[in-house]
Amino acid sequence: MSVDYKQRFVMRNDVLINIGTFLARRWSGNPNTIVTLKDGAIPFVNIQNFTISLPSLNYYLGTEFQKYRQWRAALWYESMRIAYSTKVLSYDLAFGFILNTLESKRIEILGLGEWEGMENEVIFNEGISWLSRPLLNALYGKQKIIEAFSQYLLTGYIKGELFGGELERVHKAVDFANAVVKDALYNNRSTDWIEQQVPQIVKLLQINPLITIPLIAPRSRIGLSLSQSDLMKQVERIVKTKNKEKDGQIVKSIVDGAQLLKEFESLARESKRSESKGYASLEEFGLSAPDSLAVDERAIYDNDLITRLKAAVRYWKSGWIEMHDERGDDLDTDAVLESQPKPFFTDFKLSVKTKVALLLDHSSSIEDEEIEYKKATIALCESLKFLGVSFAVYAFSTKERKVKCWIIKRPEEKWSSINARNLAQIKASGGTPLAEIYNLLLPVMKMFRPDILITLTDGEPADYGAVRSAVTSYKMMGIRMVGIGLGKNVNSAVNIGQNLKGLEFEKTLAVSRLQDIPRKVLSLLQI
Amino acid sequence: MMANTDMIYLDWNNSFNILRKAHKASLFVLIIGPKGTGKTSLVRKFTSDLHKELHSVNFSLRTRESHLVGSKTMNQGEISFVEGILIKSMKNGGILYLDELNAAEADVLLRLDEALDDRRQIILKEAEGQVIKASQDWFVIATINPLSHAGTKELPPQILSRFPVRIRLDYPPKDIEMQIVKNHVSVTTLEERELERAFKLANGLREAASLEELYYSPSLRESIAFAKLIREGVTAKEAAEVIYANVYEQWGEVEYRKVMDMITSIFAS
Repeated sequence: MSVDYKQRFVMRNDVLINIGTFLARRWSGNPNTIVTLKDGAIPFVNIQNFTISLPSLNYYLGTEFQKYRQWRAALWYESMRIAYSTKVLSYDLAFGFILNTLESKRIEILGLGEWEGMENEVIFNEGISWLSRPLLNALYGKQKIIEAFSQYLLTGYIKGELFGGELERVHKAVDFANAVVKDALYNNRSTDWIEQQVPQIVKLLQINPLITIPLIAPRSRIGLSLSQSDLMKQVERIVKTKNKEKDGQIVKSIVDGAQLLKEFESLARESKRSESKGYASLEEFGLSAPDSLAVDERAIYDNDLITRLKAAVRYWKSGWIEMHDERGDDLDTDAVLESQPKPFFTDFKLSVKTKVALLLDHSSSIEDEEIEYKKATIALCESLKFLGVSFAVYAFSTKERKVKCWIIKRPEEKWSSINARNLAQIKASGGTPLAEIYNLLLPVMKMFRPDILITLTDGEPADYGAVRSAVTSYKMMGIRMVGIGLGKNVNSAVNIGQNLKGLEFEKTLAVSRLQDIPRKVLSLLQI
Repeated sequence: MMANTDMIYLDWNNSFNILRKAHKASLFVLIIGPKGTGKTSLVRKFTSDLHKELHSVNFSLRTRESHLVGSKTMNQGEISFVEGILIKSMKNGGILYLDELNAAEADVLLRLDEALDDRRQIILKEAEGQVIKASQDWFVIATINPLSHAGTKELPPQILSRFPVRIRLDYPPKDIEMQIVKNHVSVTTLEERELERAFKLANGLREAASLEELYYSPSLRESIAFAKLIREGVTAKEAAEVIYANVYEQWGEVEYRKVMDMITSIFAS
């Protein structure tokens, strides 16, 4: 079974992002770190907004398991940059490339001091990535010099040959770079100080700091094939360089990566589960899964709103609330209190066990206030999660002239940043073909059987008659149908509310301030 | 129960001092903090230093009014009233320790509220309306866990106001955690290094729990247990697995594997 996972299994990107975000936050020590996936791009971190951008697994060479190990190692390096660096420059120009290379060496040493268990993975990563490093003989000019500098500084040797003056220049530059890294480690110097030393390296290498460095992805190596025996030899070589006492067993253990195999298998099983029970199965019903993972969901997180909303509903969790209920002219408070077994405790039942489905209109009418709308719906979802309500979220929009019903959150999924990311990438566009959407959702709703389906819409469906009939068929399934009209001001909200009333909804509400959406929806769960 | 006077408590955030001053001023104290941060140890040490009797109640949803106040019982054909812990402590003037008060049901809190107000008395409707007045040196300390803790509820304002002194007790910084563990287990320099790694792991898990990325936050008890296991010759990695990781299996394999990955990254093979 493990061989299957090692060789053939395909990891789902959402599963990868989930574990990646967890690990990056712990490794970097920064709880705001997020991980995005960008096909084909090299691993990169934006230190200012703590965003790690990684390629998908297919960027790497080897078996699926080896690809995962390399991806994880890249994640660790970028997390270490967040922990220890203050600056990461673009790899495109020689100056940035050199600074980043020096920093790679420094943060690896610092990181391994804290994360000792990563040593074997770092060796494995170095071994396998060495195999896809370009042969110097195949490179020309300044690029050759810079690649040689990087190879020699990071590993202690070079792949291919350098002659005469070039070799000497690289040796001198690496000697200086090593001294810089050593000094930085010993004297606890910052990235800025290291950056000040880069011109000297540029001088020693005799290159223009602004020359462009073409990036070489592992897969672009000509005559690509990864031999396991080559890998073993390479790892053995690194082990010998790093610690001569280590024996052959260690080499095998590093190449096998047994300490991570179970984790990989577990993630692979989770991917398979998602595939068979999750998005893929819903896609068969004609629903679409947002697939971009290079999205920063933080733009639609309004933490103040979320906190306020959680504070407003937190007594739902407590199960009771203090209420001072005094009204009328002649109320004798003492007599009322005396007559009650629990004078200041009033039972307040809320049906938090209700299963909820949310359908979010993303037609062009909400385009102007898309971000605010999304912030409000995110706050709503965070509150539902906080209350432990079982819920699913869908959205509809038009993409490439086709109406799409998007799966934002499946009913059995736990709400997480991945779902927020799904929502963040839906662009408001097109009309409001509600009937079409209801028909698409019908089989899914038959499976989920929510107690209530709440539709947030601008209330101007393209097909009134068809919507009425769809709403009726949902009601016949025992689903409480509620429509919430979103208007730009009170008047338009009231008008939209009136329109919705004609659509056979059991209950219609109108909202003119988007921030009121969560409270309106939550109030529907109250008995 | 008379507390053990030999016990050691490390007063790293001045809680002990505040508690002592609050006691002198007869101000009831509420200690707020996640589980396993040493709340009970603080109270036990405080009581032992005062040479007072400690009456403890550990609240849960099952704690009934009768546990606090008492109930009528039949003894050799006669009906008598057996006093609950609240009444006993009021009469004896010991320290009443209300542990995890926010796990109590509303009716229990209501009854307690009666005794805690400024009159310091309670009318026993269960014993023919007898009025119990608290002894002059009766003192009450309560603890609550944060609301994220399973089974906890928010305390109503009138109960909160009975405890005007509120001490926050969070997880201590690493060096203090080390000292606390050393108070329980003697460790070698080598083991101390492994302990530092365990604290790093525990703090990572606590942070993840505070962000709701995980559903459980390890306490100081786990740190002490870790030290005890490595003392017994269990390797650090193995001890970390059984003490910190296995518990997460109940929330799914992926949750468990996330924690195991942290262990793999921290502890060398």
